[in-house]
Amino acid sequence: MTGPTLAALLAQGVPLAVCAVVLLGLRGRPRAAAALAIAGMAVSLAASGWLVAVVAAPGRTLLAQTVFLPVDATRSLAFGVLLDPLSVTMAAVVAGVTLAVMVYSTGYMAGDPGFARYYGFLALFGWAMQGLVLSANLLQTLVFWELVGLASFLLIGFWFDRPAPAAAARKAFLMTRVGDVGFLLGVLLLIRTLGLATIPDVIAASAPGGALAPRTVTVAAALLLMGVIGKSAQGPLFTWLPDAMEGPTPVSALLHSATMVAAGVYLVARLHPLFLAAPEVMRGLLWLSVATALATATMAMVAADIKRVLAYSTISQLAYMLMGLAAGSTFAGFFHLVTHAGFKALLFLSAGIFIHHAHSNDMREIAGREPRSRRAAVVGLVAGSAALAGVIPFAGYFSKEAILGALGTGAPAAALVLAYAGAGLTAYYAFRMVFLTLLPDAPTHRPADARSPGPAGAAAHGATGGERAMAATVLVLAALTLVLGWLGPWLGARLGGGEAARGPLEFGTGALLALGVVAAGIAVAWLEFGRAGAPRVGFVERVPALARFFGDNWYLDRLYRATVVRWATALSRAAQWNDRTVVDGATDGVANGTIGGGRLLALLQSGYVQIYVAVAVGLVAALAYALGTGGVR
Amino acid sequence: MTTLDAYLMVALLLFCIGLYGLLQRRSLVAMLIALELMLAAVSLNVVALTSLRGDNTADPPASSVGQVVALILIGVAAAEGAIALSLFVAIQREVQSINVENLSELKG
Repeated sequence: MTGPTLAALLAQGVPLAVCAVVLLGLRGRPRAAAALAIAGMAVSLAASGWLVAVVAAPGRTLLAQTVFLPVDATRSLAFGVLLDPLSVTMAAVVAGVTLAVMVYSTGYMAGDPGFARYYGFLALFGWAMQGLVLSANLLQTLVFWELVGLASFLLIGFWFDRPAPAAAARKAFLMTRVGDVGFLLGVLLLIRTLGLATIPDVIAASAPGGALAPRTVTVAAALLLMGVIGKSAQGPLFTWLPDAMEGPTPVSALLHSATMVAAGVYLVARLHPLFLAAPEVMRGLLWLSVATALATATMAMVAADIKRVLAYSTISQLAYMLMGLAAGSTFAGFFHLVTHAGFKALLFLSAGIFIHHAHSNDMREIAGREPRSRRAAVVGLVAGSAALAGVIPFAGYFSKEAILGALGTGAPAAALVLAYAGAGLTAYYAFRMVFLTLLPDAPTHRPADARSPGPAGAAAHGATGGERAMAATVLVLAALTLVLGWLGPWLGARLGGGEAARGPLEFGTGALLALGVVAAGIAVAWLEFGRAGAPRVGFVERVPALARFFGDNWYLDRLYRATVVRWATALSRAAQWNDRTVVDGATDGVANGTIGGGRLLALLQSGYVQIYVAVAVGLVAALAYALGTGGVR
Repeated sequence: MTTLDAYLMVALLLFCIGLYGLLQRRSLVAMLIALELMLAAVSLNVVALTSLRGDNTADPPASSVGQVVALILIGVAAAEGAIALSLFVAIQREVQSINVENLSELKG
């Protein structure tokens, strides 16, 4: 076993071991559980970081796989790791964000009765996602894909004793399951054709003239895409993600940045050549993601809950990543995935500090409780929003620019125009959130100075250790938003694609246009929410019908409740009736019949020996009579 | 009525008396006595049928087989009585009664 393979096994094995130890042995010792989980994740991060340093060279691919259960001559179950720049970079991102969330949670979740269980689940999540990222074949991918779903179910429903999180967890699980059906079928189709569906084999087979017929490639890509749509909350299946905000805020940070929803985008990037070999499917994905990006941006424009704004922005940004991938650029989509992981984790963790402080998710209520006393969170929120909006020089600018560039070369002009419009909306809702959260309703000050970072900010109030951990995590991530954007050329050189040649600061007209759109969005947000004496009512909210429509997920949830959910419920009721009445009835009938028959027969057992004698004599007499008359032959 | 028929009628009478006693009396001892009567009826039948069948007068050993069997039956009855009486004593100690109506614990 070579060094990189060992490191890859370490990166995913340590979180698994931590998860097992914490859940089995440390449930009653929260501090030990947190320390162990953080140490384990740090090991995982170190291993992934070393992998990035060693493996991530252009064109380098390492595949180590061991068959543990041969099925027949061509098929077998195998477990392995696939190391190339894409997977090791993603593994480092996953480990980094998970570690940040774990450190942050020591403050956010302090005192929760389920503290140790929480860390166990986080480690489970880290393991599942690392396994998915590093997996070598599609069956393994499927296994970890489902484990990621399980972990997010457990964490969204972490406060399962309250009805809302329990319902949200159920909804998340079931909605992603709808897509997973397609994913399962796609994987089975590829395994049927290719036997052991190792990812490089799949990619090679999907090339023109490969082992897969073009039609098979199209069908497989469409089926796999169903899973992606469910997992990455796109198109019609996005409504689980805003509801998933019922989980603890650090979980949302994890879920929205590097794990769960990123899994779908990562899968498309992983199998990108397969998807590109099905251009019809990619065209569909392009328009679906354009529609999703714009629709969810409108929803983010009217949401009052800070976490819901962030949730809608996540969906919208995931749609941008998929747009970039659909336009044919692995680099653009994946680059945005990486930068988004950084700034979305930052945004959620900053929001978490405000929520922790104000005990409310409502932006206007947070604004009324001196949010600016939490300096680290203010820095985080502003930096994260600037990155989300795509303000130069924050990370989001570079990656969004890469996506717009990819759309400019590989997509119809209409999609590009809509993507620019979406960028403007993104800037608008991001800064609406900043102004609404940080400025009280009767604004007397200018917005908090974004660039007054201070590690002293959190410590100034005699902060506890937990609060210091939260503030420190946020500040580190805020610094990262300034750094991650410069990774573009490095990443581009390793993922291939012509974009690698473009330096981050080489402005074309496209970049200037994007910056103009972003500036316009921010300006509108400033006019409506920021400036002194601003109306604090968005232009959408002036039209109540539109605001209601946007604020209610475009009535999609109502539509589902009125149709699919109702039908499924009716079907379940019928099945339940069948189970209770027919199946159980038959079983109960047999049981009751046996018992009743036994009772009746037991009446013959009078316990009086003389009656037995009489019966026996009577029977013998009858038998003798019958034999005597020849009645029985 | 031949001699044999007379013996068989007596045996039948004995058997019916025994059966009646077995079914009607409630005391275990009386039931045992009735049972012995039934056994005696059977013994009588055996002796009568082997001795008086009519065609075996020339064969004394064959006719005496029934008498031997009857003797063995008496022995068996004595052994049975000994076991039964000892059981009755045990039952009396256990439930302070040998009335068969009180011994119905195996009711279903």
